[in-house]
Amino acid sequence: MKQQRNLAQRLGLGMKRRASSAGSLLGKVWAHKQGKVGLVMVGFLVLVAVFAPYIAPYDPYDVSQRTTKGLPPSSKHLLGTTINTGQDIFSMLVYGTRVSLVVGVTSGVCIAIVGSIIGVAAGYLGGAVDTLIMRLVDIMLVIPTLPLVIVLTNVLGRDFWIIILIFVALGWTGLARTIRSLVLVLKNTNYVKAAELAGASRWHIMTRHILPGTSHLVIMSTALSSAGIMVAEAGLSFLGLGDPTAISWGKMLAEAQSGGALLFGAWWWIFAPGLGIFLAVFGFMRLGLVLEEIANPRMKRTSSVYRLFRSLDSSYVEEVFNSMDDYQVMGSEVTGGGGQRYGTGLEA
Amino acid sequence: MKLSYVIKRVLYSLFVFAVVITLNFFIPRIGVDDPAERYYPPQGNMSEIEYEIVKQLTREQYGFHVSTWQQYLNYLKGLARGDLGTSFRPGSPKVLDLIAERLPWTLVLSVSTMLIGVVVGVGFGVVAAVKRGRWQDTLLLNASTVMVALPAFFIALILSFYLGFEWEIFPAYTDSTMVSQFAWTWEGISRVARNAALPVMSMMVGSIISYAQGTRNAVIAVTNEDFVLTARAKGLKTSTIRYKHILRNSLLPIVTSLGMSISGLIGGQVVIEQVFNWNGMGTLFLEANNTNDYPLMMGIMLLLSGFTIFAILITDLVYVLLDPRVTVGDKR
Repeated sequence: MKQQRNLAQRLGLGMKRRASSAGSLLGKVWAHKQGKVGLVMVGFLVLVAVFAPYIAPYDPYDVSQRTTKGLPPSSKHLLGTTINTGQDIFSMLVYGTRVSLVVGVTSGVCIAIVGSIIGVAAGYLGGAVDTLIMRLVDIMLVIPTLPLVIVLTNVLGRDFWIIILIFVALGWTGLARTIRSLVLVLKNTNYVKAAELAGASRWHIMTRHILPGTSHLVIMSTALSSAGIMVAEAGLSFLGLGDPTAISWGKMLAEAQSGGALLFGAWWWIFAPGLGIFLAVFGFMRLGLVLEEIANPRMKRTSSVYRLFRSLDSSYVEEVFNSMDDYQVMGSEVTGGGGQRYGTGLEA
Repeated sequence: MKLSYVIKRVLYSLFVFAVVITLNFFIPRIGVDDPAERYYPPQGNMSEIEYEIVKQLTREQYGFHVSTWQQYLNYLKGLARGDLGTSFRPGSPKVLDLIAERLPWTLVLSVSTMLIGVVVGVGFGVVAAVKRGRWQDTLLLNASTVMVALPAFFIALILSFYLGFEWEIFPAYTDSTMVSQFAWTWEGISRVARNAALPVMSMMVGSIISYAQGTRNAVIAVTNEDFVLTARAKGLKTSTIRYKHILRNSLLPIVTSLGMSISGLIGGQVVIEQVFNWNGMGTLFLEANNTNDYPLMMGIMLLLSGFTIFAILITDLVYVLLDPRVTVGDKR
C-alpha cells in the first residue's frame, strides 16, 4: 500500500502542487484594484474591532449622560448622541464592529468547514450518503429561513454563540451543493483516477486530492457567506432578537427607530449604523468576488453577486436557476461550464 | 417516461412535506419536557402548586396530556382536516383564521414588490445582457454590489425618515384605518396604495436587482446555445433572433420561478412589516414569537414551506413539459 503510494508520488500523479500559499493569494488580491478596496475595508474594520476601547472616546454603554441627549455630530461627539439616553454614537459604532465581525467571520469560517466537508463527502462517497445529504438540503431549502432562525432563537436562546450556531446550522447548504457538483467533476479527473488505481485510500483521496481542488471555492465562499451572515445578524438584532447584552449595528438601528430618531430628525443616529453595515458587507463581498475572479479568470463575472441575494432576506430565484443547471449541465456550472456560459463570442 | 417522472416527483414532494410537518411538530418541543411550560413559563409570583394546576389546565386545553406520540398523531389528524392548530392567544382562536385575516395584507406587499421587480428587473437585465461590457452592464454590476450591502430594513428606515417624516409624502406608519375601514372603493384602495408605497419601495430595490442579474445571466447563457448559432447561420435578422429565440427561452426560468420566490419574499418581509407596522403575516409571526405562541408560529412556517414545496413541484413539472431538451433520468 505504502509502496503504491510512493510510486504514485514518484510519477507525480495526484501530486497537484498547491497552487498558492496564503501569502501569495493575498498578494494576488492586493494586485487587483477591486481586491485592494476590499482588503483595505476589511483590514480597517478588523483594526477598529481589535482596538475598539482605544478608539472609542466614550463608554458606549454609558446611559447616564443627561446633558448630552440628542446632540448632532460635532467635534466633541463625532457622530452625535442618541436622543433618549445620550450615548455617544461613534463609540457605539466602534464597539458594534466587534459583534458584526465576530458573528460574520466565525459563522463564515464554520460554514466553509462544514459545507466543504459535507459537500466533499456527498460528491465523492456518493450512494446513500449523497442521497441522504441532498434530501436534507432539499428539506432545508423549503423552510423559510428568517422565520426558522427566529423560532430557533426562541427555543434555544439568544446567546451570542447560539446565534452563530444557528447561522452555521442553516447556512451550509448552498456551499455544500456547489462543492458537491465540483467534486463530481474532480472525481473523474485523471489524477484522481490515477490515485485510485495506485491504491490510495478514499480518505487519502478526499483529503489530499479532492479537498485542495475545492479550496478556491471554499475561500471565496467564506468571504461571501461572512457578508451574508452580517446582513442576517443585523436583521435579527434589528428585530430585537439578537444577543441582548451586546451593542450591534442592527440593534442601534432598532433603538433609533423606537427612540424617536425618525420623529426628531436625528439622521446621524440612522446613517451611522447603516454605514457600518454597508462598509462591512461591501468589503467582504468585494473580497469574495475578487477571490472568485482570481480562482477562475474565465468567469470574470459570475453569479456570486446574485448568489448573495439568497441571503436571509431574499427570494429563492437563484435556487431555481441552480436546479435548472442540475438538469442541463450537471456540475459543469463551476468549472468548464464557466467559459461556455460566460465567455465571449456568439452575442446576438 | 414522463409520467413516471411526474409520479416520482409528486411522491418526493409529499415526502419532503411530511418531514417538514414532523420538524414543525418537534421544534417547539426541543429542550422542554412539557409543552405547557412553553405556553406558560414559570412565573415568580406563583407557588409551585398553583403553577402545577395552571399547567394541568393548559395541558388539557391544548391536548398536551396525552403521550407525545399521540399528540403527533392528533396533530397529523388535525392537518388532514385542514386544522393548523389552536393559538395560545386568549379566546383560543384557530391558527388558520388568524393567518387568513393577515395573508391578503401580506400578499399585497409581496406580490406588488415581485411584479415591479420582474417588470423593471427583466427589462434592465435584458439591456445589460445585450450591451454586455458597456456602461449599462457596468451600472447593473455596480448597483448590485452596492445595493446588496444595504439591508432592506436600512433602506426602509431611510425612506421612512425622508419620505415619511421629513417631507411627509407617504405615511411612515401604516394607518390603522387602512384595515378597519377597507372597502373596494377608490378611496379604500388608494389608501392601501399610499400606505404600501414605502414598504414596497424598500423591498423592490433588491427585487429589481435580483431579477436583473438573473435575466442577464440567463440571456447570456441562452445566447451561447447551439440553436442561436443555427439561427444566425440561417441568416436570420439579429432582432428576430434576439426576441424570438433568445428572449423567449431565457425568460422561461424566470417566469417559472415566480411562484417559488413568493414564500421567500414573505419570509424576508417580516423585518419590513415590522418597520412600517404593517398588518401582515410578518407582524403576526413576530407577535407570536413575543408571546411564545408556538402553534401560530409553526402554522405560519408550515404554510410557507408547504407553498414553496408546491411551487417547486409545479415549476419542475412545467419545466419538464415545456423544454424538450430536458431528458429526465440519471445523467450523472
